[in-house]
Amino acid sequence: MIPKYAQPCLRLSMPVSETHIRPAATAGLADPLETRIAAAHARLVGAGYGVGVPRAYQQAAPKVAEHAGPDAALALAEAASRIAIRARPRVAAQFLDLSVPMARRLAAAESFGRWLGLLLGVLKPAPDALAPLLERMEMLHQRLGIGPLEAWVQTGLRLAGTDLALRQAYFTLELPEAVRLLERHAGEDTFHSLEGELRATHRALWGQSPPIREALPQAKGTAALRASFGAGVIQLPASYGGYRGRERLIFKAALAHIGAHMAHGGPRFQVGQLKPLQIAVISLIEDARVETLALREMPGLRRLWLPFHDVPPDGMATTPSLFGRLARALIDPDFPIRHGWVRKGVEMFRAGEGQIGSPALSRHIGNILGNDLGQTRVQFNARDYVVQPVYRDDNLGLWDLPPDPHEAQQHHHIDIETHDLRRSEETDSPQEHKTERADQSADMPPEKIVPAPAASGVGRIVGRLPEYDYLAGIERADWVTVKEYEPAPGDPLFWRKLEDRQGPLLARIRSLVRAAAMGRQKRLKRQAEGERLDLDAAIEASIQLRARSTPDHRVYEGVATPDRSIAVHLLLDTSHSTGDPVSLTGPSIIALLREATGVLAHAMTQLGDPLAITAFASDGRDDLRLVRVKQFHDDLGPLTGMALSGLRPGYSTRIGAAIRDAGARLATVPAHRRLVLILTDGEPSDIDIRDPDYLVADARRAVQSLNSSGIDVFCIALGQGAGQRHAEIFSKRGFVQIDRLEALPEKLPALYLRMTR
Amino acid sequence: MTASPILDAYRLETEPKWHQTDDEIAMFSAAYGARLPVMLKGPTGCGKTRFVEHMAWRLKRPLVTVSCHEDMTASDLVGRYLLGPEGTHWQDGPLTLAVRHGAICYLDEIVEARQDTTVIIHALTDDRRILPLEKKGELIRAHPDFQLVISYNPGYQSVLKDLKESTKQRFCALDFDYPAAQVEAEIVASEAAIAQASAETLVRIAQKSRNLRGQGLSEGSSTRMLIHAGRLMAGGLSVGEACKLAMITPMTDDPEIRAALSAAVDACV
Ligand SMILES: Nc1ncnc2c1ncn2[C@@H]1O[C@H](COP(=O)(O)OP(=O)(O)OP(=O)(O)O)[C@@H](O)[C@H]1O
Ligand SMILES: [Mg+2]
Repeated sequence: MIPKYAQPCLRLSMPVSETHIRPAATAGLADPLETRIAAAHARLVGAGYGVGVPRAYQQAAPKVAEHAGPDAALALAEAASRIAIRARPRVAAQFLDLSVPMARRLAAAESFGRWLGLLLGVLKPAPDALAPLLERMEMLHQRLGIGPLEAWVQTGLRLAGTDLALRQAYFTLELPEAVRLLERHAGEDTFHSLEGELRATHRALWGQSPPIREALPQAKGTAALRASFGAGVIQLPASYGGYRGRERLIFKAALAHIGAHMAHGGPRFQVGQLKPLQIAVISLIEDARVETLALREMPGLRRLWLPFHDVPPDGMATTPSLFGRLARALIDPDFPIRHGWVRKGVEMFRAGEGQIGSPALSRHIGNILGNDLGQTRVQFNARDYVVQPVYRDDNLGLWDLPPDPHEAQQHHHIDIETHDLRRSEETDSPQEHKTERADQSADMPPEKIVPAPAASGVGRIVGRLPEYDYLAGIERADWVTVKEYEPAPGDPLFWRKLEDRQGPLLARIRSLVRAAAMGRQKRLKRQAEGERLDLDAAIEASIQLRARSTPDHRVYEGVATPDRSIAVHLLLDTSHSTGDPVSLTGPSIIALLREATGVLAHAMTQLGDPLAITAFASDGRDDLRLVRVKQFHDDLGPLTGMALSGLRPGYSTRIGAAIRDAGARLATVPAHRRLVLILTDGEPSDIDIRDPDYLVADARRAVQSLNSSGIDVFCIALGQGAGQRHAEIFSKRGFVQIDRLEALPEKLPALYLRMTR
Repeated sequence: MTASPILDAYRLETEPKWHQTDDEIAMFSAAYGARLPVMLKGPTGCGKTRFVEHMAWRLKRPLVTVSCHEDMTASDLVGRYLLGPEGTHWQDGPLTLAVRHGAICYLDEIVEARQDTTVIIHALTDDRRILPLEKKGELIRAHPDFQLVISYNPGYQSVLKDLKESTKQRFCALDFDYPAAQVEAEIVASEAAIAQASAETLVRIAQKSRNLRGQGLSEGSSTRMLIHAGRLMAGGLSVGEACKLAMITPMTDDPEIRAALSAAVDACV
C-alpha cells in the first residue's frame, strides 16, 4: 500500500548549475582556481559562521575540485553558506567534510551538482532534516544511487508533512516505514515486497495462516538477522542484506523451514541444566529432524534449502564450521563427512530413524553431541552465535526460555513503534502534541481515552454554513463556522496491519465485490435498438403481424452499459461518546469505526467508486471540526492510513452542518449517483444548544436539501436505542441500526453493496 | 416404465465410470425410488455431472442436462412458440421434454438462472409433480419416471445470489467434495492413464491449492483439473509444465497467488 507519489524532482529549482558552476572555459585560465577558492574562503570567514566552516571548506575545496571539477568546488562555498544560515554552521561543516567522499563517489560534475541540489532542496522546507540526512548520506547513496535517493528524500518530506517529530524519525531511519521505503527504492526484495506471496505460499504449503510479521530491530537497534517464531507468530527479518538477488529464495526457504517446525515440532523444550552449547546442538538436530519429515511429504523443498548449505567438508574445525558441516550432512546425502564428530551425529540421526517423529530424538542426540564437543578445546561463543545457514530461524521458538524483557517486546512490537514515536514526539516537537496513541496495537485492546484532545493544533477556517431554526422557521446564513484540522499522525502501517487483522474478511469482500461488479453488466430485453434480435420479442411480433394487429417494434436485445458510478462521502462521527468501549472489555467505538471504514474503503477502491472520508465533531457553532481523512483524489496510501488511525474522540455532534459540508463537496464530483454515508453512535447535540429538537430539525432540513439536489443521505446508527431520532432525520428507510457493533467491519461493505446496487 | 423413443438420443450407451466414494449410489437410488428431487452440493469439478450420468445409466433412464446461466429465461427451459412455414407451433423446452417423456432432468448451477426460472420448478418438486405451460395453456403431469436433479455450489453463494429457502426445502441433498486423497489419486490415474505415483503427486499439489480456498482462490484445483494435468503428463509434459498449463494459469491472475501455487508444485516434486 504505497501511494503513487508524484515522480519526485528535486533537481534544484535553485540555480546551482547555472550560476555557481560556471562553464569550464573561464575556469581554465592560468590557475585562477586557487585564487577563487581563497576568495570564497575569505567570504566564509567574513560571514561569521565561526572557524569550523571556513576551515572545513579550505580542506574540502581542492579535493572536491579534483574529483568533481573546479566549479563544484566553488559551488560548495555557496551551498555551505546557505546551510550555515538556514540550519547551523555545525551542519555546514558536516556537509563540507562529507563533500569530499561524496565527490569521490559521484565523480562527474553533473551528478555532484545534482547532489548539491538535493541537499538545498531539503534545506528550504526542512532544515532540521539535513543533519540526520548527512549523517547517513554515504550509506544511503551506496544503496540507492542519486535518482532513487532523491525519490526517497522526497517521499519522506511528503510523508511527514509538517510533523517535525515524524520527519526526524524518517530521516534518522527510526521510522520502520522509512527503512521499508529505502529498501523499496533500492529495488531489493524485502519482506514488504514479498509479503503477500509469502503469506499465500505458507497457507498453500501448510494449510495455516499464522500471523507473519516483519521482525522489529533488536533491543540494540540492529536489524534482526534471522527469522523467528513463537506464540504462533512468525517473524521474518525486514531484509536479508548481503544476499543480493537471492533474497526471495531466502525468505521462501526461511518460511518453509518454520512451517516444518510448526507442522512437525513438539512442545517447547525445557532448558533445565543444559549449557548454551548443548542448546545450540539440540536445536540444530531438531532443525534437521523437522526438515526430514517435511521432505517426506514435499521432496521439492530440498532444492530450496540445499543451496544455502555451502560449508566445505574440511578446514579448521571451529564450532561454526562443525555446526555447518553437521547441518549440511544431515540434509545432503552426498556431502563428504571428514570429521568424527560430524560422522557420529549423522550415524546417531540415521539410527534414530524409528523415532524421528518425536522431538525427544533431537534432545537425545543433541545432548550427547553437545557434551562431546564441550570436552574438546573448541570454543563456543554463545553471545555472538548466529544460526547457520541463513534461512534457519533463531531457535527461540523451540525453547521454554526464562522471560526475557527483549523477547516480550518482540511479541508486541507494535507497541514499541508507537512508544518510540511518542518519545521522539515529546522530546523534539516544538508544538506540543499530546495525542494519545495507545490504541494502535494490532488487536485493538481496550484503550484509554483522553477526552477532547485540544492538541490537534488550531483549525483553519474554510467556510461558513447556514443552519435551520425550526422555531423561527428560517435558515440563518453563515451561522456555523467550518474549520479543518490537520489529521493527528497515526500509524503509517495502518493498511498493512488491517490486512493482517482482517485478511480473510478482506478476501471475502474482494470476491463479493467482484460478483457485484460483474452483476453490473445486464442484458436488456425488448429494446427499440440493439445488437441482435430478442428472439421472444421477435416471435411475438410476427405472431401479432399474422394476427393482423400492430406489433411491438422493440424486438432487440442490448447490454446495459456498466456506467454505474457512485461517489460516496463517508462522514465519521468522532464525538466524545465514540471513545466509549463497545462492551465492557471490547475496543472503543471509534476503533471499530476506523476498522470498518478501512474495510469499506478497501472494497470501494476496488469497485473504483470515488470516495472521500471526513471525520467530524463540533464545539459550538463557531467550531465545526472537520478532519479530511481522505479526499476524493487521494490514494489509500500511508497518509490516509495515518489520518484514519490518528482519529481521536472528542467534542459534540452537529450532524446537520457536517451533512451540508459533505454534500457541498460531493456536488462537484462527476458521478451517476452521489451518497453521503454517515456513521454515528448517537443523536445530534452540541454545547451551545439546549433544545433537543433544534439540531434534529436542522439535520432533517440538511438531508432534505441534499435530497432535492440529487444527493442521497444514508445513516448507519451504531449501538442500541441510538435510533430513536434517526428515523426523524433520515426517514425510516434512510438509516439502519447496527447494534452488534463487533460485526460492523463485516456488515458495512455488504450493506454498501446492497444499498448502491 | 416405457419411455417414449423421443428421448432415445438422451440415453447413455456406455457406462460413465464412477468410483464410489461413500454411499452416494445407494442414497441417490433411494431418492429416485421415491421420485424425490435431489440437489447435489459441491465445488466445481468434483464429479457432480459425472455422478448424475452414471446414475442415469445405472437406472437406465435418459438424461436431459441444462446448464443454467444468468440470461436464462423460463422459456428456455419450458419451451416457446416458433415461427414455421405453417404458422406458429409449440416447441417443448428441455425441461418439458423430460417431464413429458420420463427422463432425469439435470439443471446444472441453478442459482445462476434468474429468479423467475426457479419458480417454475416449484410445482414440479412438491407432491403435485406438475408443470404448467402458461403460454400454451397446458398443464403437464410428470411422467412417472421423471426426476429433477439440480446442482448447487455453496462456495459461490453471496449476499447477492442464493437459492430461496422455499426452493431449498423441496430437495433431498447429497454433499459432494473432492474425494479422499487415495480415491482421488485412483480416479486421476485411471481417467488420465498415468502411473499411480504421478497421480498421487498431482493430488498432493491439488490439496495445497485447496488450502488457498477463500484466501486468494475461490476454489482450489478440481479433480477435473487434475485429470487434465494428468493427460498432459501422459502426453509427455513434466509435472511442473502440466500443472502450470492445466491448473495454475487457468485458476488465477494474481501474481502472488500464482507464486504460491508454483511454490506448492515445486515443493511436491
Ligand atoms: N468419484 C468419481 N469417479 C469417477 N470420476 C470422477 C469422480 N469424481 C470426479 N471425477 C472426475 O472429475 C471430473 C469432473 O467431474 P464433473 O464434470 O462431473 O464435475 P462437476 O462437479 O459436475 O463440475 P461442475 O460443477 O463444474 O459442473 C470428471 O472428469 C470425472 O471423471
Ligand atoms: Mg529452526
